[in-house]
Amino acid sequence: MSGLSKRYGSVQAVADLSFSVEAGRVTGFIGPNGAGKSTTLRMLLGLVRPDSGTASFNGHAYAQLEHPAGHVGAVLEDASFHPGRSGRNHLRVLAAAGSHPPGRVDALLERVGLATAADRRVKGYSMGMRQRLGLAAALLGDPEVLILDEPANGLDPPGIRWIRGLLRTEAERGRAVLVSSHLLSELAQSVDDVVVIAGGELRASGPVEQVLGGANDPVTRVRSQDPRLLIAALRECGHAIEIESAGGLIVRGATPEEVGRVAADQRVALVELGAATRSLEDAFLELTAAAS
Amino acid sequence: MKALLHAELIKLRTTRTFAALAGAALGTSLLLTALVSLLTEPTQDSVLVDVFASDTSSLFILVLAVVGVSGEWRHRTIAGSLLAAPRRLHFLAAKTLAFVAAGFLLSVSIYVAVAVVGFVILSVRDLPLPQAGELVELIARGALIAALLGAFGVCLGALVRNQVVAIVGVLVLSFLLEPLLLGLVPEVGRFGPFVALPTAAIDISPEAVGLGDADLVAPGPAVLLMLAWIGAAFAAGGALLRRRDLE
Repeated sequence: MSGLSKRYGSVQAVADLSFSVEAGRVTGFIGPNGAGKSTTLRMLLGLVRPDSGTASFNGHAYAQLEHPAGHVGAVLEDASFHPGRSGRNHLRVLAAAGSHPPGRVDALLERVGLATAADRRVKGYSMGMRQRLGLAAALLGDPEVLILDEPANGLDPPGIRWIRGLLRTEAERGRAVLVSSHLLSELAQSVDDVVVIAGGELRASGPVEQVLGGANDPVTRVRSQDPRLLIAALRECGHAIEIESAGGLIVRGATPEEVGRVAADQRVALVELGAATRSLEDAFLELTAAAS
Repeated sequence: MKALLHAELIKLRTTRTFAALAGAALGTSLLLTALVSLLTEPTQDSVLVDVFASDTSSLFILVLAVVGVSGEWRHRTIAGSLLAAPRRLHFLAAKTLAFVAAGFLLSVSIYVAVAVVGFVILSVRDLPLPQAGELVELIARGALIAALLGAFGVCLGALVRNQVVAIVGVLVLSFLLEPLLLGLVPEVGRFGPFVALPTAAIDISPEAVGLGDADLVAPGPAVLLMLAWIGAAFAAGGALLRRRDLE
């Protein structure tokens, strides 16, 4: 998507947002409540008209795709179903509209664990079952792109683990997966790339290690048998150092390679050396701080 | 378009609303037919309209069509429907065609049931029966009107998202405002799409349906005017649907 903007009255919901999602990767789309995530996804899917900018799939707007459900599968945050229709019939409607083989309906009901509840009316489904039904609907056309808005809402822990596996499986099959969630712990374990927005604006995007680590501000964790000597040597090189309670050192502005070189020059034995990354939650709070 | 039409027909068949309203239409039609057949003594001239024009499917299909579209908003299924059919006019056209088909089939089914009941009762009572040709013509005209009102209802539902407002509005227009307009300003009321034009298109006496001696338009022009109403409502409903953001 390129330069997407949307304003509702005096509220700028999305402002000049641009990012792309790669095939074969899971991209996490994160931001605080009201950041513009759902509006962005709806613009991407042609449900909301942007004031400016474009959103496309391999160069084609969603509405211009020949068989949209065969290219893009989506689960929206408030995915709703006719309460009086059974899960199976809901999928039958979508299979007919998308010209998908009817056999896909039963296969997907099986895959999402709803085979035994397929003929029950949706009004009797739990929230987790509705999420699974929404996922089955999104997967009907075996799409190249999956867009999931808060897919873990209402799922129990086994369900969350299942959905993580599904995201990874689809990415490994070469699908591009864009998933938004406010439950950061879920995303941290599942995503390859992240896009962070706040106040409708892009705050960061890229591979998760890059966003968490801060490529322009490397941070290294190191422990040695002679910390005093190492601290002195690192300070001499101009690096800022924090001392952790467990005896480790956090070195700002230096990569592990640079710290290792300093330690080797001083003949200091190291017992731990590696990049110190922020948690996704830390990164999220830091990147979105200005908007909250 | 064929795939979308198929999907809309599955939607119609897989909820209880359609079955309930179709059952209600059949029940009221048969009840009216039975009562008139049993309690009156129609003449050869009046039997066709008195006994065999009791099909109420037009009203029910109109309400069903309004429910069919406004229900997409009420149950928030519209986003999913438009993800499957992102060309919104195609979606509206498919829904319109589905209710045209539903209206036609429902009306024919009810007319046939009414005919069977009416023929049996009148035969037992040894009362005059209508000519087969006239009855077939009545069924054809009734089914055409039911189909047109199905289409009109879809377009009205696309214009008014709130289901309760849409249904109450259609009922008030059908039973109150349009008959009132026909009585007070007949030169305007005769072009009404809910009562005047359907009655004119079926070609039955306005007196037989409680419209007094209203000067209705001829059957052929009435059908064309109904089509014009549908075209206008489709254009307005389609334009609104295309512009709406689905938050």
